[in-house]
Amino acid sequence: MEASARLFQRDLMGKLSKRFPTGFLGLDPFPGTFGRIRFDPAIALELFREIRDVHAFEHLAMVAGIDWVERREVLYTVWSDVHRGYLLLSAMLPAERPHIETATTVWPSANWHERETWELVDITFDHHPDLRNLLLPTGYQFHPLLRSFKLHEPEELEVKVRHV
Amino acid sequence: MTGTSTTVVPKPRPPIEAAAPAGELPMVTQPALPFFEIETLRAEQFIPNAKEALGSMIAEQAQDKLIRPVFNWAGRNSLFPLHWGLACCAIEFAAAFGARWDAERFGVVPRSSPRQCDLLIVNGTVTWKVAHKLITLYEQMPEPKWVIAMGNCATGGGPFRTAYSVVPGVDKLVPVDVYIAGCPPRPEALLDGILLLERLIQERRE
Repeated sequence: MEASARLFQRDLMGKLSKRFPTGFLGLDPFPGTFGRIRFDPAIALELFREIRDVHAFEHLAMVAGIDWVERREVLYTVWSDVHRGYLLLSAMLPAERPHIETATTVWPSANWHERETWELVDITFDHHPDLRNLLLPTGYQFHPLLRSFKLHEPEELEVKVRHV
Repeated sequence: MTGTSTTVVPKPRPPIEAAAPAGELPMVTQPALPFFEIETLRAEQFIPNAKEALGSMIAEQAQDKLIRPVFNWAGRNSLFPLHWGLACCAIEFAAAFGARWDAERFGVVPRSSPRQCDLLIVNGTVTWKVAHKLITLYEQMPEPKWVIAMGNCATGGGPFRTAYSVVPGVDKLVPVDVYIAGCPPRPEALLDGILLLERLIQERRE
């Protein structure tokens, strides 16, 4: 990592830990980015606003969900045109009814990403304006990227999909 | 005998007395019907029925022997597929209509509206999300219409057969006439499938 990036990272860590003394859980190095911020889902909305308005990460590139079986992770990738780099925001959610505040109010591009994350790994985004199926048919019963999802025989799945 | 009514029932003729007394002529109460009148009567009954029967027979024959072949000939030489691409098979589909393979020499011209099409080439993976749109497109096409399943995905799901979101074969949604194997099939294979469909249309009866 370049020295300037390391400086920026340290600066960011200091500012965020001062701003969120409880919710900010740390900043790990992550290859190709400024690092990965771990945060408590309770401060999600404030952290998003802080990251966008104060630290100028104005573009949300991706929302991903990861199923770690005993818990579930939601991962935001944001890009800054000012700093020319990515930053990852990661929050761990409980496996039972995982939910987090939507980022749509901060980055409007989160809309479809969150719909996709919701239908594939079953993470509910509270106050999402339009949380419905994006890639799967309406009323699809499964969350297929969960580790608990079993592959069906085509005929069996067809019956289940047709009768939703 | 009036002979004017069309529904003439021949009057019952008096029975010829079998055993006439010898030396006496039989009593004739009613004059015998002349032969030509009988024929006229019969013709009046027969001709309309015959005309109707002949007409329908000729019409059927004509439909089978004359009109149907003309329609089949016209239909199979101007197949208009829907200009609709789903996946990588659509690239081969596009190449088949380019300069090199030139499917237009068979009268195959892709049209952009299903209302103008009589051939649906399903070129690619059909997901359950797009399934009802495919059915809508098929239903919007006017009769008679045909379906070609192009490539392994449209034929049976291909490598995504057990996936959670893919229709395992488009024949679960619409009736398919010709299946083309390949992943993706080359433009020659598509042209071969179209020619096979033309042969099917040539033999079409109803």
